[in-house]
Amino acid sequence: MRFRRPTSRRPEGITLNLASMIDLTFLMLIYFMVSTVLSRPEDRLSPTLQTVSETAIGSSADFQPQILDVYRLQGKPVYGLGMQVLHDRRALETALVELYKPLGLFVRAAGDVPVGHVAGAIQAARDAGFEQVTYVPAD
Amino acid sequence: MIDVVFLLIIFFMTTAQFSRLTRADVDLPQERGEQRQTPEEAGIVINITRNGELIVSNRSVDLRELEAIVRAQIRRAPRLSPLDLKLMIRADRNAEAARLNQVVTMLTSLGVGSARLATEVPRMGSGR
Repeated sequence: MRFRRPTSRRPEGITLNLASMIDLTFLMLIYFMVSTVLSRPEDRLSPTLQTVSETAIGSSADFQPQILDVYRLQGKPVYGLGMQVLHDRRALETALVELYKPLGLFVRAAGDVPVGHVAGAIQAARDAGFEQVTYVPAD
Repeated sequence: MIDVVFLLIIFFMTTAQFSRLTRADVDLPQERGEQRQTPEEAGIVINITRNGELIVSNRSVDLRELEAIVRAQIRRAPRLSPLDLKLMIRADRNAEAARLNQVVTMLTSLGVGSARLATEVPRMGSGR
């Protein structure tokens, strides 16, 4: 008996069907495009916090500190600068320009004021030319 | 074309991961902020939501837990003074400042010298 190895016919060239892979790739692309939440750009304000160390504010102890208060008056957030009560942002910006800048400014916010107004006060101080803006939480 | 598609997939996968890691759903104050030439490391990001909830690394924490996180961060870098600790506060513009005040009081008690307040650059035509 003679056993003969069956002759296998090899294909001349191997072809790989890429269609399914491309489908899958596009599906993944669409999935990630749809599921991605494009985050909006952010910027930052850098108010220095009031530190517990006395040296941080010791040098300016002889001067009257300039304090910008943010609080509610008759239900609306207002800005208080010394004896002045400023009802809007424009009035605040005008008042801040007049202040002496090298002393810096303390921003103090009451607990019931929206954070947006606090950030607005800090931004207005920066825009007016204050290099040193210190945030002080109100008691 | 397949190369480009793969690049796009990698881009979207990466950005999706980042936004999930650091950003909570917070409506930031609409302010210009300060334009820095060199981007700075954000450090610890403290999110304060509209209802005063504190979120750090996508986890809701209370003030005591937040204090522990900041303490751990200070301990992790013994050469660094708490005054130099990088910290960013992302507070919702409609949240009450009471929560922000609590966080700031806690930070100052730990000796943290400064923090940055995240803002969103107003879009063209949007009022303050």
